[in-house]
Amino acid sequence: MSAYLSTRVSLFSGHLWRAEDFTALLRAPTAEIPQTLVDGGLVQLAGLIPGNDLHSLEQSIIAQLLDETLVLLRPLTGSARAFLLYWTERFEVTNLKTLLRGKMTDERPAALLNRLTPMGAFGHLDVRELAHAEDVAELLRRLESGHYAGIVRQARQAFEDSHDPFLLDAALDRGYYEGLAHRARQLEKEIGPALRQLMEPLIDRINLVWLLRYRFNYKLPPAQVYYLLVAAHSGLSSSRLKELAALSSLADVLAALPEGLRASLGGAATIPDVFARMEHSAAKSAEKVLRSNAPAIARAFAYLILRERDLRGVRAILRGRNLGLPEAMIEHTVGPLAREGI
Amino acid sequence: MFRARPMSRVTLYCLTSEAQDVALLLARHGLFGLAADKEVSFPESPGDEYREIYLEADARLAKIGELCGHLDIPPLPPDAIAPNLRELKGINHRLRDMWQKCSACADQGQKIEEDIRRLAALRDTFGRLKTLDVDVSRLLKADSLLDSRIGQVPKANVKRLKEALQLAGYMLTVFDQTGEQAFVVVAGPRSGGELGGVLSQAGWRELVVPPELRTNPEIAGRYLEREAERLQDEESHYCDVKAQSVGAQGDWLGQARLLLALARPLAETALGGLRGSGQLVSFSGWVPRDEVPRLGQALEERFTSRYLISSREPDSSERGHIPSFLKYPAWLRPFVPLVKSYGIPRYGEFDPALLFALTYLLLFGAMFGDVGHGGVILALAALFHRKLGRAAWLGIAAGAVSMGFGLLYGSIFGYENLLTPLWLSPLHDPIRILTVAILFGVGFIVFTLLANIWNQFAAGQVSEALFDSTGLAGLGFYLGAAAGLAAQAGMPALAGLSAPAWSLALIGISTVAVFKWVKTRAGLGERALVTAIETLETGINLFANTLSFMRVAAFSLNHVALALAVFTIANGLGTAGHWLTIFLGNVIIIVLEGGIVAIQALRLMYYEGFSRFFSGDGTEFAPLKLVGVR
Repeated sequence: MSAYLSTRVSLFSGHLWRAEDFTALLRAPTAEIPQTLVDGGLVQLAGLIPGNDLHSLEQSIIAQLLDETLVLLRPLTGSARAFLLYWTERFEVTNLKTLLRGKMTDERPAALLNRLTPMGAFGHLDVRELAHAEDVAELLRRLESGHYAGIVRQARQAFEDSHDPFLLDAALDRGYYEGLAHRARQLEKEIGPALRQLMEPLIDRINLVWLLRYRFNYKLPPAQVYYLLVAAHSGLSSSRLKELAALSSLADVLAALPEGLRASLGGAATIPDVFARMEHSAAKSAEKVLRSNAPAIARAFAYLILRERDLRGVRAILRGRNLGLPEAMIEHTVGPLAREGI
Repeated sequence: MFRARPMSRVTLYCLTSEAQDVALLLARHGLFGLAADKEVSFPESPGDEYREIYLEADARLAKIGELCGHLDIPPLPPDAIAPNLRELKGINHRLRDMWQKCSACADQGQKIEEDIRRLAALRDTFGRLKTLDVDVSRLLKADSLLDSRIGQVPKANVKRLKEALQLAGYMLTVFDQTGEQAFVVVAGPRSGGELGGVLSQAGWRELVVPPELRTNPEIAGRYLEREAERLQDEESHYCDVKAQSVGAQGDWLGQARLLLALARPLAETALGGLRGSGQLVSFSGWVPRDEVPRLGQALEERFTSRYLISSREPDSSERGHIPSFLKYPAWLRPFVPLVKSYGIPRYGEFDPALLFALTYLLLFGAMFGDVGHGGVILALAALFHRKLGRAAWLGIAAGAVSMGFGLLYGSIFGYENLLTPLWLSPLHDPIRILTVAILFGVGFIVFTLLANIWNQFAAGQVSEALFDSTGLAGLGFYLGAAAGLAAQAGMPALAGLSAPAWSLALIGISTVAVFKWVKTRAGLGERALVTAIETLETGINLFANTLSFMRVAAFSLNHVALALAVFTIANGLGTAGHWLTIFLGNVIIIVLEGGIVAIQALRLMYYEGFSRFFSGDGTEFAPLKLVGVR
């Protein structure tokens, strides 16, 4: 089974886009975009261009990722399978947040359903029933008796006490990533440290970006910021996160980071910049794992991380072009991909 | 029975104000399948809002039903009319109000349950508060310097919360644990850091310690008892309110259910087939050709000239989209799911259900011919016919055919010497049974090729019907080669026909090769390769599929061989062991071999039969229907 998965991952890794593929898409005449996508192995997306709507584009990207995950899941069992399945659940957590937001704004069920991403075989939510919930309270009550009960229960209390949609989202996100980190630790016990090379940059990025956002955009107190972060067992430690949460500016936080991170984030002036740099270094780690002889599940996860980054890069270019943005602006947005590729 | 009923493309125009009643009439008629028509150029989708309101109302009614139990629905009056949009909105609003009340009841119920649980926890906790080395009354007393609270959080969150609180200068002490909950005291300086919503994020529930609990144990005990009684009263009162509100609205809820059932047809048409322009709407769809006059008559009776109906024959561009309306006699229906599990016949395509039923039974009987075993299958299917439903008929028919072949083979419970075979005993004449199986295979494949030729002509693909490997040319090759081989093997009926047979085969295969060459669009080398391989494949496939039918003979022999094995073991044992072995051996033969034979017969039908002529990618006719009414 491991040999099958390894071979499958190696075959899939041939689908990853190189720098010149992104450049070609960026520069291709509009009429040639579908062919460029077909050449890049993205036949599903090619069907949407030109004249696509952005929502369909997003749905197609997620459908592509889910299809590939389904193939990778076939030979997996036990905690490896549970981990990859859980990885796909974040798309459904996004659906869950969309449902909650829709109920808060009293959106009509039909319009709300139309905005959700179809999860196919990966779906756990009865979205039709949930979309017809009368209000947020009823929706949360229904969710509490379903697959996401663990994530939703505490989020509900946070929402009931504050009625702040942002805190509801934050609680859901934290619940999801706590679950992911927990499953990763279980899997690490079986397959060794290769997975840590992928999880550490991922959790560090989530924690640091959230910390900066919560602290400096939403002005939450340090105690609450710290509580909303994901409990880390490597990378940025709990004690370090506590120190960082107590600091009063982005520059102070970046200056207080451990040496490696401080070097890679030196000169970053904004939170999106921090995010982009950390995502880039996480992709580099994923590339290393993918090219190594690490256990097949770690390579499969690395592939999915890289594939998702590619697809989001493609989406950024297509969106930019669809909205008629200047080429230089799009290039700036997807710059690291187009310049360096993977 | 051999193909779908001929359909007409029907477009029906009526007033927008009567759209819901027209949809209701179409649903009662039960033979109108909705499908958008490109020729209708009305710009509006008038059913969208109606559908949305319907779905909301339906969801609310279902939720009320879930909470309040089964809702009785009154019988459908013959002159029932469907609610219009305004009426539907009214129903929806009333259902919303009712559900909000029900939902509030549910919330209240949940709250009471939580309070009861909390009171129980408080009762336990009260006894343990003394483990805190502090004076509780002083601890909880409002103070300008110390902010102290007592409450419960999930145990899993305690560590993280403790660390977070330290950032605000607070401390957390766990003084008790019950199940997944930890009871804690949180205290810190009022002038310290902000807590924000950290306690809520951690699932904090404040334990309200009433003043009574801060006094002596006797007063505290009486307080807890009083609280328990109050909550029980509240709970029973809540249940009464719920029962009364449902009881009072029960009739109306039944009416609402009926009205929603009547509204459903128009809501369904919004998915496709309904377009509008101002005061006019059009319904487009498919109706069986011979039912169009009856539909027109029903419309005339109900809407007297306030409608316009037109029907036409489907054009060639619509062929792939016409739904297949298939009707079967009752005895054939149990076999239909087995055909549908392969696919639905396209409109105009040969429907293989009858062929399937007859051939499947024949193959099963030939492979599992035994009067006793067939009789057991028949008896069991008849005995459990209530549980098995329609599938029982499959078992009865298969058992009966198996019994018939058992008589032909002279076999009963594996005994080959109790009955005289009416035809032959497979074990004593294996070559003959193999020959018969192959001849049956030839006949079956010829039939599938003929069916495919019919289907290709029906689909307008004349060149494929004539020249392809599964067309007339392929059939010529197959018949010629099969006859040539049979003549060479010395079959008396074909003596002297060897040369013409091989000539026919040569003409057939050459025609197939030329057709493949013409059809392939590629470079010279690739074209030659594709032609050679596909032509070769034609020959190999047809004969490999024919040989596949040898399994029919092989399984009939296997049946006897298995019985012989059982007898050999049984004969080596004493009387009791002998009969026990015979019994268990027969059970194993029926269960295991019966199961294998059933699957093999299905495999032969699907792979040697259906794959040759049956596309199975048709769409089943799904007419608009009234659902959920009596």
